[in-house]
Amino acid sequence: MPRRPLDPVTLAVLSKRFDSITTKMANTLLRTGRSGVLNMAKDFSTSIVTRDCELLTGAETLPIHVLSGADLMARSMMELHPVLRRGDAFLHNSPYHGCSHPADHTILVPVIDEKGTHHFTIWVKAHQADIGNSLPTTYMAQARDVYEEGALIFPCVKVQQDGEDITDIIRLCEMRIRVPGQWRGDYLAMVGAARIGEREVLAMAAEFGWQTLHAFTRAWFDYCEQRMIAAIRRMPSGEARATSTHDAVRGTPPDGITITVGLKVDSENAMIEVDLRNNPDAMPCGLNLSEGCARTAAMIGIFNSIPESVPTSAGSFRRIKVHIREGSVAGGGKHPTSMSVATTNLADRVTNPVQVAFSMIHDGLGLAECGPIMGASLAVISGVDPRNGNEPFVNQIFLLDTGGAGAATTDAWLTICHAGNSGMCFLDSVELDELHFPLVVKQRRLVPDTEGAGRTVGAPAGYCEYGPVAGANLEVVYVADGVRNRARGTRGGLNGAPIRNYLRSTEGELTELPGIADVVLRPGETVVSNCAGGGGYGPPWERPVEKVREDVEEGWITRQRAHDVYGVVLTDGGQVDVAATDARRAGLAAAQA
Amino acid sequence: MRFAVDTGGTFTDLVLEDDRGRLHMFKAPTTPDDPVRGILDVVGTAAESFGATPETLLGRGDLFIHGTTHATNACVTGTTARTAFLTTHGHPDVMVLREGGRLQPFNFRVPFPKPYVPRSLTFEIRERIAADGKVLEPVDEESVLEIIGRLRERRVEAVAVCLLWSTVNPLHERRVGELLSHHLPDVPYTLSHVLNPVLREYRRASSACIDASLKPLMSRYLGSLAIRLRKAGFRGRLLMLTAQGGVMDAEDLAAAPIHAVGSGPSMAPIAGRHFARLDVRGDTAIVADTGGTTYDVSLVRRGSIPITPETWLGQRYRGHILGFPSVDVRSIGAGGGSIAWVDEGGLLQVGPMSAGAVPGPASYGKGGTRATVTDAALVLGYIDPAYFLGGAMKLDVALAQQAVGRDVGGPLGLDLNGAAAAIVRVATENMVGAIEEITVNQGIDPRGAVLVGGGGAAGLNSVAIARRLGCRGLVIPELGAALSAAGAIMSDLHAGYRALQFTVSDGFDLAGVNMTLAELLGRCQRFLEGPGSGALEHSVDIVAEARYRHQIWEIDVPIPFQRFEDETHVARVREAFDRVHEEIFGFGDPGSAVEFVGWRATVRCRLRGRSLGRLAREKGSRVKLAPTRKVYFGDAGVVSARIELFETLRPEQPLKGPAIIESPFTTVVIDPGARVMRKRSGSLVITP
Repeated sequence: MPRRPLDPVTLAVLSKRFDSITTKMANTLLRTGRSGVLNMAKDFSTSIVTRDCELLTGAETLPIHVLSGADLMARSMMELHPVLRRGDAFLHNSPYHGCSHPADHTILVPVIDEKGTHHFTIWVKAHQADIGNSLPTTYMAQARDVYEEGALIFPCVKVQQDGEDITDIIRLCEMRIRVPGQWRGDYLAMVGAARIGEREVLAMAAEFGWQTLHAFTRAWFDYCEQRMIAAIRRMPSGEARATSTHDAVRGTPPDGITITVGLKVDSENAMIEVDLRNNPDAMPCGLNLSEGCARTAAMIGIFNSIPESVPTSAGSFRRIKVHIREGSVAGGGKHPTSMSVATTNLADRVTNPVQVAFSMIHDGLGLAECGPIMGASLAVISGVDPRNGNEPFVNQIFLLDTGGAGAATTDAWLTICHAGNSGMCFLDSVELDELHFPLVVKQRRLVPDTEGAGRTVGAPAGYCEYGPVAGANLEVVYVADGVRNRARGTRGGLNGAPIRNYLRSTEGELTELPGIADVVLRPGETVVSNCAGGGGYGPPWERPVEKVREDVEEGWITRQRAHDVYGVVLTDGGQVDVAATDARRAGLAAAQA
Repeated sequence: MRFAVDTGGTFTDLVLEDDRGRLHMFKAPTTPDDPVRGILDVVGTAAESFGATPETLLGRGDLFIHGTTHATNACVTGTTARTAFLTTHGHPDVMVLREGGRLQPFNFRVPFPKPYVPRSLTFEIRERIAADGKVLEPVDEESVLEIIGRLRERRVEAVAVCLLWSTVNPLHERRVGELLSHHLPDVPYTLSHVLNPVLREYRRASSACIDASLKPLMSRYLGSLAIRLRKAGFRGRLLMLTAQGGVMDAEDLAAAPIHAVGSGPSMAPIAGRHFARLDVRGDTAIVADTGGTTYDVSLVRRGSIPITPETWLGQRYRGHILGFPSVDVRSIGAGGGSIAWVDEGGLLQVGPMSAGAVPGPASYGKGGTRATVTDAALVLGYIDPAYFLGGAMKLDVALAQQAVGRDVGGPLGLDLNGAAAAIVRVATENMVGAIEEITVNQGIDPRGAVLVGGGGAAGLNSVAIARRLGCRGLVIPELGAALSAAGAIMSDLHAGYRALQFTVSDGFDLAGVNMTLAELLGRCQRFLEGPGSGALEHSVDIVAEARYRHQIWEIDVPIPFQRFEDETHVARVREAFDRVHEEIFGFGDPGSAVEFVGWRATVRCRLRGRSLGRLAREKGSRVKLAPTRKVYFGDAGVVSARIELFETLRPEQPLKGPAIIESPFTTVVIDPGARVMRKRSGSLVITP
């Protein structure tokens, strides 16, 4: 059949229509999900993939979920299930078949017309509150392999046929996942969202015809590629190499895992390459990156650094190459290597050096490093709720995160959470957490003088403290990076603050807790958690004087720090002493030179 | 007699409904230094037309309905009161941290928003209430007094108080309120549980901070308006528009001025829906209100007024949450007063800055020198310099030509007509972009919708906009030049009350919920007996805010009765919840318990009986205009366009462009190729 070119209005309307479908799916998940990780932290994503398994569009959700992975997972669905029928749905969480990590249960629904032809795949991924691991957490950093990790792995398993649940699978999950009712509620939310997406795509096909929709996907990919070409051509060519180190856990070398990235920007040919091949072999721990996460983490660093907004689709990805070495910790691991924590810790150690490498190529590109996570302020908590007939609960809380990095021209986005999240998640309302769980949040505040100093500043650290109430015990499990290795500044910017966690006894005494911990708080005890700050960009003494004065007035930094680090001298009335400031700044610059 | 006055950025509009139901429309320039003067001016204009004194005219009025952008403007320009925020000890950064969330994950060029109240004016009070309402730590009154001392030192002008769990136990907030009343008697304050008793401390705090920050300004404004109207002879009731698309008594609004934020444009969709239905039986309408300064657009879909549950001042996650639902209207800086210039890169820009009412476009000759859209329209021949505002204001073509030539023609190497046409074209594109935001970006094809053009400057390029969007029809109501004021004349008196009362379907607290409902209904009843007395009819709607167990976002379920008699009522509501959930999200979960979190009662009172009347023909408005005028249309060049008067255009007689339809309030440009017909309702219906 002849291919008609698509008129520009239809191109615009259809691109927005596909976007709005993924947004609607995302809203459904957010509004109907049961676990906090889903309905508060927004730790999920929705997208649509073409029949050729190329990413068409994704809702504006967590970047680490979606740039690469949807394509790999759709491909595995087609390979494992050559015959697809309307009404099928698949449950997929296997990092060995394209999924990010086992905690991200994913529902894939093929969109199939009356004749049985497969046209698109709807894709809904959500981090679960629990997946049946050997400990009550979805992050098993110290698991030797997938067996010790304990997750149920679903390598694209059919979970619905003719629109009805295959109850064998549901029963299996209900026997092996903690608080099964919560899991089932989230499963319903995911399937509901996917079916909404399916319904909407079918309605679009009825209105425009499948042929027009496929013509659109081709035109859209070409358009996205052109936008990417234009964006890369506006950047200078260059190469840089940067590293970033994750704290040691059991199963890693004593100095932790150092990730090395090579970045090459080829402005003339409009290509960007990231080389992840110079990295160690996969390790007997849960930090190894899945292929989906390794690719995505590198791509996030790229999209963060492009100084304009380019739509993310298979079209713009044509201008990106990510090299991965088979067998490596950075995306090359094979079954039964554990990839339990693949979306956060080590993935950030890929994204961060990529964006730093851009800043090394040119002052005015890229960012410093975002703060590492996840201390006790983002712990998975569990126990039974005496206020509620001892009902069991398990959930990740998002009580406090900051971590934003100083960017080329802008101060940090304060609540970035971590590089792979990019600030998309919500922070828990204290009232909501106290309503849902038997706990009290004693404090939640930002800490002065902890920002990643720079021309543009990284986020300050935060402080929070919480503990059980109503006579309950509270189990707190977390996996923190960044106790030893802080977020690094770039181009003379200073490092961000580290993560710290403490146990406060009933007598008020503080004991420092390790980077990875599983503690049970008794009544009267609390856990104290400092989240990590982000790195600064550029020398602090180049920060505009007026901004430093405001930072002091607003209590972000003390006068002492303004003087020592930023070289800004304030009078007793809080005004800038211009002459003293000029002298102090000249001195700081000279000392550096 | 009813008055509806809408104070816009450039003009103050008055729609007056006389005792026979006929409508009259008047305009006067807005007076930003003292907006009440502009209101009295427009009343004066009306009085003159009626051959009466303002005193007699106002004396005949029983209702005076007023909408203003005063509150919104103050928030946007940061001219609200110096406001302090009092919070629970240990939680000073509620307004800084907000609830997280971000737009555009890869865009690192947008800074993190500053808190609505700065950290330097945030104070922590030693106290704590638990989730079940128990006092964990009593209020440390010494520390409150010490804080009050600091508030005085810092010359704070308003105070917002939001303490954790004040919605469950308001004891501490009340006590802090008492201490403030006693020790800081001249400083207004807002207690979060009184204003907006919702769960989630950031939303409640943000509501309280925005509200408090508006109190001094809005009390001054409303006080002055009431006093001056009374002095001028008005003896009736003063009602104010709210962002929820209704009206409130002025003194109630002064006590909760947050409801005025965003109220200015909230009436346009109500009027727009009315005309789309009446004139073209349109169910889906894009309602665009073009003033001098802003272009406000909203989308009426399947006949319903768009409501947004989470209203933000500015962009979502980048601005500040209001914490109340409101009519969903988007605004961009574009209008008759938009300034045109050529930027350093050689690109023609129009807006968002506006010459406003003062100094106004260059052609006003009131000190404005920069070229605006109005000046461009004058150069093109769209506007008759002798008949602007019905001849009330003479425009100076030479000044317009000078400005357009200097600011745009010269830099771009265009002749005068070319430069003026380019200005209008860019303005059109900006407006089309705003409409695409609410249609195409939501996946709605504007080609199926009707465009309703309101506002004084709508006629200049609405045909061009409708063409660009491919809209099937364009309606310009005869009241279109005062669309918001027209909506205000149609609006209902309303009030909403809210209470938190948590219970679960499988252990439903009948007594507790019935007590809460009785309390809410009592408040509705008091409203009906007070502000609502004399209403023609009223309705009270109750909804529960509910969710499945472990969900955290509630949806509204209508409650069809006023008290839960027994478990069968609980079962009915629970089934209704399953249905609503299924409707919105595509699935229900009858196996899961349902949590009821909040309860809302809304009371609406209908203030008018008959349907909207027609615009009356004003005495002495018969003017003689030349039958044709030379007008420049980009593609067609200079052509001779037919000139018609809006009010004398014969109904149901089609007319082909090029033509210009003039009224004392607006000029409607009918491009070559477009067809226009006046309907019996008085509206112009245009096929672009």
